[in-house]
Amino acid sequence: MAALLSEEDKKYLVDLFGKELKSKVKILFFKSDDKDECQYCDVSRQMLEELAETNEKIDIEIHDFNDESELVERYKVEMMPAVIMLDKDGNDMRVRFYGVPSGYEFSTLIEDIIAISKGGDVELSSATLEMLENVDSPIKLQVFVTPTCPYCPKAVAMAQKLAMKSKYIQGEMVEANEFPELSMRYNVSSVPHIIINEGAGEFVGALPEDAFVEQVMSVVKGA
Amino acid sequence: MPMFNLSGMSNESKEKNYDVVIVGAGPGGLSSAIYTARAKLKTLVLEKAIEGGQINLTNMVEDYPGFVSISGEELADKFVEHAREFGVSFANEEAMEMDLSGDVKKIKTDFGNEYTAKVVIMDTGSNPRKLGVPGEDEFANHGVSYCAVCDGSFFKDKPVVVIGGGDSAIEEGIYLSKISSKVSVIHRRDKLRAQKIVQERAFKIPNMNFFWNSVVTEIGGGNSVEYVLLKDVKSGKITKHSTSGAFIYVGLVPNSKLVENAVETDDHGFIITDEHMETKVKGVYAVGDVRKTVLRQVVTAAADGAIAAVDLTKYFD
Ligand SMILES: Cc1cc2nc3c(=O)[nH]c(=O)nc-3n(C[C@H](O)[C@H](O)[C@H](O)COP(=O)(O)OP(=O)(O)OC[C@H]3O[C@@H](n4cnc5c(N)ncnc54)[C@H](O)[C@@H]3O)c2cc1C
Repeated sequence: MAALLSEEDKKYLVDLFGKELKSKVKILFFKSDDKDECQYCDVSRQMLEELAETNEKIDIEIHDFNDESELVERYKVEMMPAVIMLDKDGNDMRVRFYGVPSGYEFSTLIEDIIAISKGGDVELSSATLEMLENVDSPIKLQVFVTPTCPYCPKAVAMAQKLAMKSKYIQGEMVEANEFPELSMRYNVSSVPHIIINEGAGEFVGALPEDAFVEQVMSVVKGA
Repeated sequence: MPMFNLSGMSNESKEKNYDVVIVGAGPGGLSSAIYTARAKLKTLVLEKAIEGGQINLTNMVEDYPGFVSISGEELADKFVEHAREFGVSFANEEAMEMDLSGDVKKIKTDFGNEYTAKVVIMDTGSNPRKLGVPGEDEFANHGVSYCAVCDGSFFKDKPVVVIGGGDSAIEEGIYLSKISSKVSVIHRRDKLRAQKIVQERAFKIPNMNFFWNSVVTEIGGGNSVEYVLLKDVKSGKITKHSTSGAFIYVGLVPNSKLVENAVETDDHGFIITDEHMETKVKGVYAVGDVRKTVLRQVVTAAADGAIAAVDLTKYFD
């Protein structure tokens, strides 16, 4: 396959990562080689490998979804292709990408790598950080996106920032086209569509931070 | 369209005080930013969604000079790259509150940051206007959509309707015709407002048809959209039309809430400026779709941006 990232983008990433990356970031990638089972696994894998070439602090570990059930279990990987990010000490940063982080979502992936290399250093308002202090039960945020949706990265980034700041929160990007059954289950037909705790709550749209957090918290409080 | 797009990257600096803060990274604001950065003014662009603005929402642009045909995403990308090249700062933040009265303007964002600037340019653009019929809100996100590039893929091989007769409606209808099984355009008049070349293209598409002199009076269904009720405006007759999706392109509402009490707006909320793009409030400018103007396109937004940027240098002489 020809290179997926343009020379220009590679150069941009080399510069950016050179400036921004502090410590190592480990990316666990779960795939299958069976095209029928995972149409886009090889695209995803190649993109990650090209990404790893831009800076030595990015480590990619490739795992087979079907053969490595222990790992799949440990990280509760549900589908593939899946990207999971760990910090330098191997801690799960609770960030997931299901499906290829392509189109506009590519920026989100890059920003996550940078944030995690800085130990989960993300910007959130003090009000949000205070709210997160009170979270003490698991919250799963699945953000359904399409790669051509310009409003989606904001929602994914928000979910994943919350995840990096609270050990109870998991922030997932789900590429809706690649997982039609799951999209159907939640009746997703406009994106970004955010599903909270497997349907306990949901909302649509890229909301500003306070409104996003409010939506999430309303579900948790109601529980 | 590039498969992996980096235009959304913010290069936030921790700096909070600027010469110029531009709210919204649409073509107008980015054009301003290019000019102010070249004038060596410290410039920050705030963007709540994606750099490049609404042009990201369209599949193809064919009327911006210099590009016979370019995807909206790519054009947006070029605007952003151009601004970056001259050292413009970007922050992925939404302006939530603004104090524009004094010589130093203050802008609070959703991340809780407060920025200051001597000059503020509002480039907040517009949002799609709602149709205002029963079912529209109920089925919003379950078949009702205002963004074909975002949501079109959910209607693969299914029939959809497009409501409206302007450029956006017809262009997005053409885009949808490549994904959906059938696109029915519903228009309240007997001819389209869209550019002639776009009309001609649409009329040739086999799976696109037109309901003239028709308005949608209701959107209905079960879990998601299943039909729309069409009223013939001449005969008053109502018919039921089966569809899986309704894409609505019936005009724009300006994003001017943030400043509606500070600057002058017209009855629809569009910001009123002088010919230099400056509002009644000194040092506060408006450019692009959010401004009261006669044409809302990329080329006019960019032109507004240049005019504003050149005028505002008077505050720094
Ligand atoms: C479907 C569609 C097709 C189109 N096709 C064409 C075409 O073919 N040719 C053409 O010339 N024009 C086309 N247009 C019109 C064109 O996109 C607009 O005229 C142009 O983008 C307006 O630019 P702008 O500078 O006003 O900013 P906009 O592009 O409107 O961008 C405004 C930006 O401000 C941001 N923003 C708003 N509020 C805030 C806030 N409080 N804080 C931070 N950021 C904020 C928004 O997120 C947005 O990104 C099309 C529009 C649509 C919707």
